[in-house]
Amino acid sequence: MENSQQYRFTASDPDFGEAGFRPYLPINLSYGSKTLNVAGMLDSGAMVNVLPYGVGVALGAVWNEQTKVLKLTGNLAQVEAKVLLVNATVGTFPSVRLAFAWTQSDSVPLLLGQVNFFREFNVCFYRSALTFEISPKR
Amino acid sequence: MSTAIVDLIPRLHDLKRSEKLFVIQILASDLAQEEENLIRPNLAYPIWSPFDSSEAATAMLNALAEEKETGYGE
Repeated sequence: MENSQQYRFTASDPDFGEAGFRPYLPINLSYGSKTLNVAGMLDSGAMVNVLPYGVGVALGAVWNEQTKVLKLTGNLAQVEAKVLLVNATVGTFPSVRLAFAWTQSDSVPLLLGQVNFFREFNVCFYRSALTFEISPKR
Repeated sequence: MSTAIVDLIPRLHDLKRSEKLFVIQILASDLAQEEENLIRPNLAYPIWSPFDSSEAATAMLNALAEEKETGYGE
């Protein structure tokens, strides 16, 4: 991959052994004047990006001010969610605009999914080597 | 290849046929055990992915498009 940056998988829980490695990506999120450095899990099976409630609050977003309500599925079907648009920076790549399904739950991980993280970045997984590479879309 | 393996190979070659078969059996058993342990019983493996949230995906894409049209952005 041209112009790519490489990251390592993270061992999330030793109890899970070999299954416990996850592709967490360090990412800077900005909303208004606030910026937060967080780790998002790359999830190519997720249709949308998902933001835990506490991260949105830490960014200064106000739940009642967000008007676009979303309906999620799977484990998140019972969780209320709204659209939150934020600026995101990965490594030294130019900043992009990401749309998140901001959930009213803190038990969900921050997920980077098809809409719209994978529209903005190309990702190549080398799971057997516990690494992955990212580059901006061409 | 690690130095441990480089040291080991000549010694394995020197083994008797029955001993070589015994080593093969032990290693095959180790590999099978590791495969079985990849997904362990009695552990919860949560899957959070919103797989079929097409409505949400459409709404989020619309929000991005609306913002682009109005020229608003941080």
